Amino acid sequence: MNDSLLTYLPLMAKAAGTSIWLSWLGLLLGIVVGAGIALLRRSQIVPLRWLALIYTEFWRSIPILIVMFFAYYGAPLLLGFDLSPFTAATLALALHASASMAEIIRAALASVGRGQWEAAQAAGMSGWQVMRYVAAPQALRVALPPSIGVFITTLKESSLASVIGYIELTKTGLLVRDATGGGLAPLLALGAFYFLLNYAISLAGLAAERRFHVGRRQDLVGAMT
Amino acid sequence: MTTPILEFDNVVKRFGARTVLNGISLSVVPGEIVCFIGPSGTGKSTLLRCVNGLETIQGGEIRFDGEPVRGGHRSITAVRKRVGMIFQHFNLYPHLTALQNVMLAPMIVHKEQREIVEKRARGLFERVRLSHRIDAYPAELSGGEQQRVAIARALCAEPRLLAFDEPTSALDPETVGEVLAVMRDLAAEGRTMLVVTHEIRFAADVGTRMVFMDEGKIVEDGDPRQMVAAASSERARQFLGRVNH
Repeated sequence: MNDSLLTYLPLMAKAAGTSIWLSWLGLLLGIVVGAGIALLRRSQIVPLRWLALIYTEFWRSIPILIVMFFAYYGAPLLLGFDLSPFTAATLALALHASASMAEIIRAALASVGRGQWEAAQAAGMSGWQVMRYVAAPQALRVALPPSIGVFITTLKESSLASVIGYIELTKTGLLVRDATGGGLAPLLALGAFYFLLNYAISLAGLAAERRFHVGRRQDLVGAMT
Repeated sequence: MTTPILEFDNVVKRFGARTVLNGISLSVVPGEIVCFIGPSGTGKSTLLRCVNGLETIQGGEIRFDGEPVRGGHRSITAVRKRVGMIFQHFNLYPHLTALQNVMLAPMIVHKEQREIVEKRARGLFERVRLSHRIDAYPAELSGGEQQRVAIARALCAEPRLLAFDEPTSALDPETVGEVLAVMRDLAAEGRTMLVVTHEIRFAADVGTRMVFMDEGKIVEDGDPRQMVAAASSERARQFLGRVNH
């Protein structure tokens, strides 16, 4: 590693923070929207279920780069105003994450046994209370591990924002490479940054799983009854 | 004549084309312990689940405390607050401790104060002889213990009627006794109970009334001891003869 790259490492570390922020925001929006879509998938009203299904299938079938291009270059033409690279990237990441999260949350809610809903209903709980106190806490444990996967995917996908000119980790790495006269070292550093970030997310995820007792035997009991 | 707490008036329940309850009429007064017996798949559990609207009915009417029970309707909550249900598979909330399981509904449905609910809950754990297991999670409890927690959970909401849906069917023979013992205590207190069970001896000992069902109909309804000794219908005699020997 040459000296000039070392001097740029703090810049890359700062850019790593930007990438984390971008993907975290995308994930957060994705969870909120995804939860809504998952609830629609469970709706009594058939057209709403269809709408939610089409939404999910649509966004997970379109490459994220195309969504980014569409948001970035399409917004001025279709909406009449510009979207910043940051907004366009966040939007694309959130749409993509929401499709994945919708599926994860739907499956997690489906894993809560019918007996659980019945016991809570029989006790007089409202639909909201059943969700809040009985179903959601159990679904959370099921949803947590795959959600960590979505976070990691989103972080990796956020590198695509470099293509529409948003200066996050990848773009910074490429600029550093130009400034240091090319070579593989900046790319290696870039890869190392992504690896460390994602590995940290994995570890945090495992810690969270322990905190919420994911995989403890009691979860199997809940799934059975 | 006491006014009935629960009335079934020509109730019909269908699952698709299959008729599960075919014109059930029944009236239960406070203090009665009605045991429902009969072959599997004859609608005993379904009948119980209609009481608190877990199933909606297609014909007839069910009244609880004189008020019509309508599954899926907002008013069903009022009935559910007064009916405690115990399930075959316990259905304890696996993410909550035994104590939290018992306290949840009184706090969030009945909006009672935590201190009052906790005091009552601790008393109930004593009654079901599980004070030492109060902080255990359901997965750490045996089947018999889980079912006793489930009974405490139902009792903590101070229901007017207890509905037991095959409470011992998922238990091994050794732990059946501990659950039945708790149920005997409740019966001795004069609680109103509906019990769907295959425990004929329990039904004969503890029940004040036995209802024999077959193919969605009530075939016979009478005194448990008399029915076990000499049922008047051929079908009930057949069934009771088979389980007795």
